[in-house]
Amino acid sequence: MVRIEVDHGLCVGNAMCVATAPRVFAHNENRQSTVVDAGGDPAVLVLEAAANCPVSAIRVLDAETGRTLFPCEP
Amino acid sequence: MSSGCPSSTGSPPRSAGPPADLDDLFAEEAIARPYATFARLRERDPVHWNEKFGLWVVTGYDPVVWILRHHELFSSGVIRGVEGAPYPPVLPEDAPLFDEVRTFRADQLVEQDRPEHLEQRKTVHSFFTPTAMEGWRPFVRRAVDELLDELWPRGRMNVVTDLAAPLPVRIIARMMGVPREDMDTLRGLADSILHLNRGEPDRLRPLTEGIRGIVEYAGPFVEERIRNPGDDLISALAQGENDGVFTRHQVLVNTGLMLFAGHETTMNLICNGLRAFIEHPAQWDRLRADPDRFARTATEECLRFDPPVKSTQRIVAREAELGGKTLSPGERIRWIIAAANRDPSVFEDPDRFDIGRQPNPHLSFGSGIHYCLGVALARIEGQEVFRGLARRFQRFALETDELRYQPSIQFRSIESMPVAWSVPG
Repeated sequence: MVRIEVDHGLCVGNAMCVATAPRVFAHNENRQSTVVDAGGDPAVLVLEAAANCPVSAIRVLDAETGRTLFPCEP
Repeated sequence: MSSGCPSSTGSPPRSAGPPADLDDLFAEEAIARPYATFARLRERDPVHWNEKFGLWVVTGYDPVVWILRHHELFSSGVIRGVEGAPYPPVLPEDAPLFDEVRTFRADQLVEQDRPEHLEQRKTVHSFFTPTAMEGWRPFVRRAVDELLDELWPRGRMNVVTDLAAPLPVRIIARMMGVPREDMDTLRGLADSILHLNRGEPDRLRPLTEGIRGIVEYAGPFVEERIRNPGDDLISALAQGENDGVFTRHQVLVNTGLMLFAGHETTMNLICNGLRAFIEHPAQWDRLRADPDRFARTATEECLRFDPPVKSTQRIVAREAELGGKTLSPGERIRWIIAAANRDPSVFEDPDRFDIGRQPNPHLSFGSGIHYCLGVALARIEGQEVFRGLARRFQRFALETDELRYQPSIQFRSIESMPVAWSVPG
């Protein structure tokens, strides 16, 4: 299971995450991305959504260990 | 369907607008000093019906964000969906060429709405992600260093033609994976396609030459990479044809778009940013004192303060309420990034050029589903250019009394920018 954080100071509502993992991400009333169900789609799609965010607003963590899965630590 | 904007101002409807002079979007004053003109409009009527051109002009930050994030209400098909003659006018004998320009532009990714837009954008989206673009930073830095090392001993340059124009073409050509010896050909084509943004009556001839040229030039590359794909940008577009997302014409047109979209815009970022630094020497000194620290926020401030794209447009697709006005289907709507970026309700002391400004939520890359595809590349190019300039040059002097701009409502493009600096010894 993953934990997902979306930085609303960065999110521009490009919606590529909503297109990539539609059961995980949805737009709120400001048309910014929010997480509706972190386990709604396979984790691989969540990571793809995070990697494809044009403003790098999405962080993905391992829910149990708290380890950052995206962005990759150097 | 009708939707309300959270920032409705309750201002009176159409008739009570500002005086007609603010409606002349091409007036010399509006082209030379857009900020004063559009600030007056934003204060008086942030969602304004422009009688002269028959379109909505939106200048407030909140309404602009609202439009950008409600793509279902506003169509991007501003070329394909709308009849009309080119403006500014063209030579009568060139008028037939406009159809060719229209056919070319109608197939561009930026002209599409969902669902087609999403599928098409996906073909190239992963090429341009921030992580992928960081891999290109060393190449960009090297390209900047090469150009500046060559220019520095000369003591003067025209920023437009010597630095701002060659750099983005060199970079995008490498991304497309075309041979180095084709650089002059590609630059020639890129320069011809820049006529998209010009106001001269005879601009359609060089423009159509550029359009035909890029389609002809890219043809064999696309043909080859459909069969043997690589990790370059043309291969990514060509894969779209293999996947049934693009026709061949769309692949070729969008190859041209990739060449153009990052060309004029990056040129303007470099020129307008350098102008801001020349006019704000204290901020230039601040950057020079620590280029690595300030390159990022300085680039964002250049983008906000004098944005490469002044304004963008859509066609109203469904009735919408905005700022107490009713927008009807088929109406043209144009928002002024240059005005929204100076909105005092969002930016403290908005007319101050401050390279440490944070946060800086400018709208120079747009927002929503059409948010600039090349954003990460543009940022890296800006950061590397301003960093490279700050590390080498102590002080620039403008060698002209007046900087003139292309007569465009969309782009903020300096025509010519001669500068000089002193070379010791």
